[in-house]
Amino acid sequence: MMNTVKISIRQFTVLVMFYTIGTTILIIPSSLAADAEQNAWIAAIVGWLLGFIAVGLYILLSRLFPNMTLIEYTEKVFGKWLGNLFSLLFVIFSFIGASTVLFYMGNFMTTQVLPETPIESFTILFAGIIIMGLRLGLEVLARTAEILFPWFLILFMVSTLLLIPEIEIQKIQPIVEIGIKPIIKGALSFVGTASLPLIVFLMVFPAFVNNPKKAGKAFIIGNLLGGLFVIIITFLSISILGPDFSERNMYPSYALAKKINIGNFIQRVEILMAGMWFMTIFFKTSFYSYSFLKGLAQICGLKDHRPLALPYGIILVVYSLVVYPNVVYMMDFDSKIWVPYALTTCLFLPLIILGVGTIRGKMKK
Amino acid sequence: MARKLFVFISCLLLLFPLTGCWNRRELNELGISVGIGIDKAEKGYRVSVQVVNPGEVTAGKTSGNRTPITLYEATGDTIFEAIRKITTISPRVIYLAHLRVLVIGESLAREGIEKPLDHFSRDHEVRTDFFIVIAKGSTAKDVLKVLTPIEKIPANKLYLSLETSQKVWAPTATVTLDELMTDIISEGKSPVLSAVKVTGGVEGQSQKNVEKIDPSGRLKYTGLAVFREDKLIGWLNEKESKGYSYIRDKVRNTVGTLVCPEGGKIGVEVTRSKTQVTGKMNNGKPQINIEIRMEENIGEVECQIDLTKRKTIEDLEKSAEQKVAAIMLGTIHKVQKSFKVDIFGFGEEIHRVDPTAWKTLKQNWDEQFTHLDINVKADVQIRRIGTVSNSFHKKEEE
Repeated sequence: MMNTVKISIRQFTVLVMFYTIGTTILIIPSSLAADAEQNAWIAAIVGWLLGFIAVGLYILLSRLFPNMTLIEYTEKVFGKWLGNLFSLLFVIFSFIGASTVLFYMGNFMTTQVLPETPIESFTILFAGIIIMGLRLGLEVLARTAEILFPWFLILFMVSTLLLIPEIEIQKIQPIVEIGIKPIIKGALSFVGTASLPLIVFLMVFPAFVNNPKKAGKAFIIGNLLGGLFVIIITFLSISILGPDFSERNMYPSYALAKKINIGNFIQRVEILMAGMWFMTIFFKTSFYSYSFLKGLAQICGLKDHRPLALPYGIILVVYSLVVYPNVVYMMDFDSKIWVPYALTTCLFLPLIILGVGTIRGKMKK
Repeated sequence: MARKLFVFISCLLLLFPLTGCWNRRELNELGISVGIGIDKAEKGYRVSVQVVNPGEVTAGKTSGNRTPITLYEATGDTIFEAIRKITTISPRVIYLAHLRVLVIGESLAREGIEKPLDHFSRDHEVRTDFFIVIAKGSTAKDVLKVLTPIEKIPANKLYLSLETSQKVWAPTATVTLDELMTDIISEGKSPVLSAVKVTGGVEGQSQKNVEKIDPSGRLKYTGLAVFREDKLIGWLNEKESKGYSYIRDKVRNTVGTLVCPEGGKIGVEVTRSKTQVTGKMNNGKPQINIEIRMEENIGEVECQIDLTKRKTIEDLEKSAEQKVAAIMLGTIHKVQKSFKVDIFGFGEEIHRVDPTAWKTLKQNWDEQFTHLDINVKADVQIRRIGTVSNSFHKKEEE
């Protein structure tokens, strides 16, 4: 296969970071606080560490099959029919992922910012940019990430610095009260939202990265950085809003930004802070979409996935409107169904591929 | 050419979705509410909203004979319904983002404030930076009806008064919505809110009130309201409220009185105050140690005392230590005896140091609280005595 598209190591790192932060920054403090209460930040750290296992697995897979995408080697390992069946599972996962993330974006806007505007106007506009990105291709997306990264960093640093005076350390005490179980549960939901969906990068990595040797390290660093941002937000949310208020808030990060008040002068800046997750959500949706389109194209044996982008976008918008019938369904799905679903598709499936692939490789020798 | 035309047309089309006018609400369509009062109605709630009259608060061209604010009220089964119903009497939609104070009427507070508060935490327009106060001995509506001098907007006066008195006088508590909700839910701390009182009856309600040098109608903060879970159960007077502020480490600056050894009084200013509350499990029994460190300056001397001697200052420090300990213990005993709820957050302290013991203690914490072992230790340093040394009283009398 000809790989004319190449992205640099730095671009790849930033992409992984943005993708890890994704919607995690918006929703995870709340679900972590629900499980681990004042120890949510510990659960976040545990989840962050568990995330390395997932990334490690993906790197192992890529070592086994350099220059191939997930779809290609699934087919190689399992043959055409079984392979395509597994690939289809993965492709559907990407599609559901993309539409839920798009819904989060729209739901956030209609709940918090512009409640009277119909959700369609946000999802259509947002999907418009995503389609544009998909049609322009991977390189353009990667360069966009590189350009937006400093802006993200500035927003994040400013919001963190402005929030430091509000921290009340008593709110995270007592530190060791909650047992292991809730922490693991919280950590799993962290992994499920932040790290496991990184599987979509197996469509890009290592085949489309210009320095495959260093790409593994970049993958880890990207995940590490992204996780760090989420841990900081979780910590701030617990120590400023308290575990109880974080849990009840649908979007604790936004509630946090509302708290910013420096001398009654720098205040009400939350919508600027929302700019942070617009960036990260854009990349999360884009890469879910990219892996869906690329995957579908490869399953069907198409040379180029780009012509599929526009029809895909239309379906995505419609599906994002029906993927969750209401917000309570969304919360229920996220806390009960998403984690096992992500574990199946993003952990067990690659494990099987890795196992069978290794055995087959050895048999050939 | 075709491409250029295409780009041009798409740009034109994009103007429509990108104007951002879908949800627009111009400033002159908003009824900016600064204060909200909630009272009990026969069915549901009576909500009174203090709305700014923009023409009267702008600098420069005010007509002068209209009030700076207007009060609208409506009743409804829910708060949400009542607020919307106000549009039948108000020309503008009530806009809540600039809310400064939420006043809750005493009779509603006695029945519980949990239910009416939900709307304020759920609605997207409401922020959490306003203060919540209880109208002592009146309805919330009466509180919002009083016109105030200096601050044209009464809700602003309520906000600033509370903030300032907390800063330099201490026996008030600035409680915001998120803090209140956390306290209501907490098993180891019961909420308190500041109480506000209306004086002067109906005279405060007309523009005439602010035309006088000494307005007859006034709004005044008087101590704190004590809650069991979300129900009002009693009041703390000013001195007890101060004790509460000391224990919760909310005192930044305040003024106190000391008694001279030979009669007469000395006024002192507390310039620094830091309280540390630590919990401990002592032979299976919870114990609370309160340690307060204060720095004071002497601000007024009304007796014969020789301030130039080191011994005098040491004695004064001792008597100040006893005084502040007595204030705190007085508050604690009052609350233990009459209210039997832990408003000081001692339960949370125990929770922090011994989570396992807390699991059994929290079952009947309020009961445990009434005979809790509490030790108070005070350390007062008098740093300065003002711009003069001994008072001129002495010479006069000799």
